[in-house]
Amino acid sequence: MIGSGIKRGTAELAILSVLEEGPLHGYEMARRIEEQTKGALRFTLAALYPMLYRMEQRGWIRGAWEVSQSGRRKRCYRLTPAGKKKLSPLRKEWAELFGALKRLTKVAHA
Amino acid sequence: MPDWQELVRQSLFGLALDAEEKDEVHAELAAHLEESYESLRTKGLPERAAMQQTLAQVADWQDLRQRIQVARTRKENIMNDRVRQLWLPGLLTFALSMGLLAVVEKFGPRPIVLDLDKGTPILLFYTSWLLTLPLAGAMGALLSKRAGGSSRMSAISSVFPVLPFGVVFLIATPAGLLMGHNLAHHVVGAAFFTMMFGWVLVPGVALLAGGLLVQAFSRQSASRRIAGS
Repeated sequence: MIGSGIKRGTAELAILSVLEEGPLHGYEMARRIEEQTKGALRFTLAALYPMLYRMEQRGWIRGAWEVSQSGRRKRCYRLTPAGKKKLSPLRKEWAELFGALKRLTKVAHA
Repeated sequence: MPDWQELVRQSLFGLALDAEEKDEVHAELAAHLEESYESLRTKGLPERAAMQQTLAQVADWQDLRQRIQVARTRKENIMNDRVRQLWLPGLLTFALSMGLLAVVEKFGPRPIVLDLDKGTPILLFYTSWLLTLPLAGAMGALLSKRAGGSSRMSAISSVFPVLPFGVVFLIATPAGLLMGHNLAHHVVGAAFFTMMFGWVLVPGVALLAGGLLVQAFSRQSASRRIAGS
């Protein structure tokens, strides 16, 4: 299981990445992230919504109420152009970090 | 099944947002809890266990309330950041450079006058003012940097004094052409370029030079700090 500090750092990337596939509401977003990371990243309600609101204030995502097929009102989030722009350097940063850690741990184990 | 909306409302009691925003937050979190609960029930969990597992998503409602409040009101913080990192340093730089110009006009040497064309636009170069501008630009950049501004913010704060001139000239030139039918186009055009050169471009370069110098120094001292730590 990945520690909470790393989880916090990767949360933005995880949210932006799943939203790149299409608009989602909070519950579905959490479910997809858990499913796609095979349970390594798990968003509870308490972790998810403050993060979503913060990202919305930064202008990376935009939430709007929609009525689902079952007639329920749900707030769906979409990536904004600013969010799309943010995703690519964020991916690069994390790839570099994981690459560096991988190299470092290999050296440490040698 | 509980009334999720009421449960969220009671648990987040004291959330300091306006009524409409608060209702939205309550409705959104309630919908999430309801969906979690129903999903667990569909998986076969008994009512009580599903309820417990659903509510376990929030260990501390007061902590959640605080974090939602901070996240939802961050717009205000961004505004404050912009004021501290751009508007305040920019306006102070503007005030300083205009103050210096007034002093130079009153007590300084006469400006260099360039007569570009007989009876048409004249360019005044207050050399001593231009020499003091890097100082004003450096102050703008320094204030912006100290408030946590990015390199871009810092550079804009440095050149802030020339931005209003640039905007005025950009508006005044087409307006002059439209309104003053008796003005020759080449005169307005020449005036535009000389004004832009004398009041925007040259002072802008002087201001930016000071700003870039501060940025270079702050980068150097940051790398020294990292190396020393």
